[in-house]
Parts: sequence; C-alpha cells; structure tokens
Amino acid sequence: MDPFEAEVEATIARWHGIVAPNDPARRMAADLISTIRAFEALRGTLVFEDEPASFEAALHDTKE
Amino acid sequence: MVGLADLSLVEAADAVRNGEATSMELLDACWANLDAANPKLNATIWLDREGAEQAARATDRAVKEQAWLGPLHGVPLAHKDMYYQAGRLCTCGSALRKDWRPGVTATVIEKLHAAGAYAFGGLNMAEFAQNPTGHNRAFGDCHNPWNPPYITGGSSSGSGASVAARFNYAALGSDTGGSIRLPAAACGVTGIKPTQTRVSRFGVMPLSFSADNVGPLARTARDCARIMTLIAGHDPRDPTSSHEPVPDYEATLDGDVRGLRIGVPSTWFLDEVDAPVLDALEHALAVLVARGATVHRIALPMMDAVTTYGSIISRVEAATIHAQWMRERAGEYGIHISGRMYGGYAIPAAYYVEALARRGPVLRAFANEVFAKVDVLATPTIRTCLPTLADTDIDHGPPGTETKFMAVSANTRPFNYLGLPAVSVNCGFDPSGLPIGLQIAARPFAEARVLKVADAYQRDTEFHMRRPPVLDAADAPGVIVA
Repeated sequence: MDPFEAEVEATIARWHGIVAPNDPARRMAADLISTIRAFEALRGTLVFEDEPASFEAALHDTKE
Repeated sequence: MVGLADLSLVEAADAVRNGEATSMELLDACWANLDAANPKLNATIWLDREGAEQAARATDRAVKEQAWLGPLHGVPLAHKDMYYQAGRLCTCGSALRKDWRPGVTATVIEKLHAAGAYAFGGLNMAEFAQNPTGHNRAFGDCHNPWNPPYITGGSSSGSGASVAARFNYAALGSDTGGSIRLPAAACGVTGIKPTQTRVSRFGVMPLSFSADNVGPLARTARDCARIMTLIAGHDPRDPTSSHEPVPDYEATLDGDVRGLRIGVPSTWFLDEVDAPVLDALEHALAVLVARGATVHRIALPMMDAVTTYGSIISRVEAATIHAQWMRERAGEYGIHISGRMYGGYAIPAAYYVEALARRGPVLRAFANEVFAKVDVLATPTIRTCLPTLADTDIDHGPPGTETKFMAVSANTRPFNYLGLPAVSVNCGFDPSGLPIGLQIAARPFAEARVLKVADAYQRDTEFHMRRPPVLDAADAPGVIVA
C-alpha cells in the first residue's frame, strides 16, 4: 500500500473509528492528495480584507 | 389536441380552475403514463394510489363548492423521496431508511398542499442524495426516458424522469452540487437551484447544511416560477432561511431580454466540452440574441478557489452526518456512496474552516467583478454528451470510473459554493437523442432574472415540449383542446 494511503486509513481509523468499506473508498481517499495540492496552490494567492466574513451577509450585499 | 398529461403544471392547474378537467382526470392521465413508462424507468420508490384518489376527489368536491385552495388546486405531484410527510414512508433512497416514517412534514410540502396540490408518491433518488448519475443500489437505478441505458442525472433522478415521462407535473428536488440541474438537463426538463437560504429546508433530509437547496423540476420555466413563488421565503422553523422578500416570479415572465448582457465563461465551464454540447450552447445564445440580448466572452475570477473549496464542504458535512452508520452499517450503503464519504473523514478541520470562512469573501470578489460586466452567466449544464449508467457505475466498474462519474457535475458544483441561483433548460439533443442542458446563473436572489431568461428562451424553442420515446407506446387518455 502507498504510504499516503496507509496514513489516511490509519488517521480515519484512529480519529473516527471507521475502516475502509471497499476498494473505491481506498481509491477515492488516496485521491485526497489532489486536494492537498489544490490547497497548496492557493496558498498566498488570496488576500481578503474582510476575512473571515459572513457568507449570508455576502449573499445580501451582492444581490440584484 | 394534447393529452392531459402533456399539459404543463400551469396549464393543468388552469384546466382544473376553468372546468376543462377534473383533478381525478389529471391523476388518471398520470397513472396511464406511469403504468406505461415506469417499468422501463424505475422513477418511483413508493406510490399511494388510494390516498391520491381520495385527495383528487376532495379537491374536485371543493371545485364544485368554489372553495379554491390556491394556484395548484387539484394538481397531483410527486417528490424526491427525502421530503418528510408525517406518517408517510420516506426512504431517502437508502436501505438504511427503507421503513422510516418521519413525524413532521416539510415546510415546502405544507406550502404546496396549502396551494391545492397533493402528493401521490415518493420518487427515486440517489442514496441520501449523494450521486450525480441516478444509480441506486437499494431501489434500482433510475433510467433516462429518452434512452434508458443512459443516466438520468442525479441526485433527483426520479424527479427528472417522472416529469419528462409525463406522469408528474412537477417535482421537488434538492441541489447540493447540481442535483436539480443535472436531472433537469439529462431528462430534458426545467429545474432551478435557488439562492442559498432562499427556500426553507425544514423537514428535508440533510446532506450538507452549508450547500443544500430545495427547488422544483417541471416542464417549463413558468411552472418553476409558480412553484418558487409558493415555496420561497423565510420559515421560522429553518432559521437559516432568508427574510428577503419574495416576488411573484411568474408575473415577471414577459419575454423581454432586450439589453440583457449574457456572459459566456472562457474559463472552467467549457473545458473539454463535447462538440454537440457546444453547438447547442451557441444556438441557444443565438435565440436570446435574436430577442435583444448581447453575448460577452469573459474569464471568470477565483475559479481555483471556488472549485477547491467547493470540493470539500459537502464531502465533510455528509461524512459527519453519516459517521455513526459508517462505523456500524457501512455495508448497507451503495459502494460508491460509502466510498465517496470515506475520504471525507481525513480532510483536516482547518481546510474545512478555510473553505467556509472564505466563502463570503470569494462570493463578493466573484460577484463584484463578474456581475459588473454581465447580468447572467450561460454555460452547458453538463459539459459532455450523457454517459451510460454502465460507464459511470463505480460499484461494478473498473478503477477510474469515478473520474467519469465526477465529471458529470463539474459545471454545477461551482454555483453551490457561490450560493448563486441557477436554472437548467433543455437546449437541444445529442446524436444519441439525449437532451442537452443550458445553465443560466445570476447574482444572489436573482431567481426572477434567470427564470425570465429561461422563459424567454422557451418562447422561441420547442425542445422542452418534446415527448420522450419511452411514451411512444403509451396512448395518453383524457384529451382536451389545447
């Protein structure tokens, strides 16, 4: 097993008491590496003056 | 001459009101199409024929007494099987809830019934509203009325199929990543995902409390407008619902799109688009341009943030809701359902909070830049020609099937993170005879605008009026002069 996959499965088992129910679960969990890369790519690219801010307020402030 | 089941929701309600049809005749017309088409579609999970016939008789008696309940008087409907009706079965599409009967009734169901409609069944859906295709292990897959081996779109699969196959005038669906717009597109009907917070979610099965939305699928934009006017608005039982005033959406449908600026994104939404889908989009734009709209090709900002953040919120929230069953009864879920949720437990809380905390600022930046240039965005609802159920069957397919499966919702998910209203209308057919969807999105609370554009488009086109081949063998009874 890939070390990342093993780490993900161990983390889920330790923190949630849940084991991988099937092979697609393992494959899709392994794909979390793409989520990590996407977050890495965003780092430093976004600067907001109003962060954190209410989403509900933004909905009303940007309405028609 | 058209059959009663061929009428739109608004036409059916008007027919009852004008004395041209009874509610029982509408119901009989729906039963006839259901009995003919549903064995090929599997669009329902349960039916209450006796209860529906009692309701039809009651509304017909009320007509004779001129006791009008409202703008849907006497119209039979069925909804995605996740809307609670006290004491009635509500499976949520899962074996885990195959016998469950809630103790409360959803606010939106109460509102539709107060307007004179009644519900005759629970419609097939993705298990716990968690797939974009219509696969369902517990109750069987839902099949496309235009070509049954193909997907209906999900998760509101039975909602799309039943309306397309004309045994249901309209259905409530839910939309967390595209689950109203995808079956609307794949089944050739009209569906709207409202602005986040626009419609109460009390009594509706939760999937992701940050991204769930309630909305209708129906034959026309006008049908959707009528339902939206009835169901939108604040609900004290759903504190997250907005106090924003609700307009009469139907009254705003005048076909006038002169001066409307339509933005066509050059980023994300046309990536790897199939040629028939792109052709249909361009033809749809030409229809609106002929009515006085203008088209602007624009690059959308923030799409990396929208897609990255949007990809984890519902995954984490769904995993959280289902944690106990995932520990104790994981084998009772469909493989792709438990498989998708499983990874959600490994997403760090800091990622989830970052995605939520930046949702407001990302929306502000996106809306302020995009909607200064255009009034609406127009995109394909689904980038590709529809795949088959077999091609997207994670439970039985080879590794890599999940990529095709997830691609179905690539164009709908961004508007869930942004919380924007978006409608899907049929804008043509691909070489396999399957519908193609046009998605129109706008600023928050601009439901009236997207419905107006959709209605204007439908005034000049007839795609939404076509009957699917699954009905070819069915003779629609109860004829009236159109």
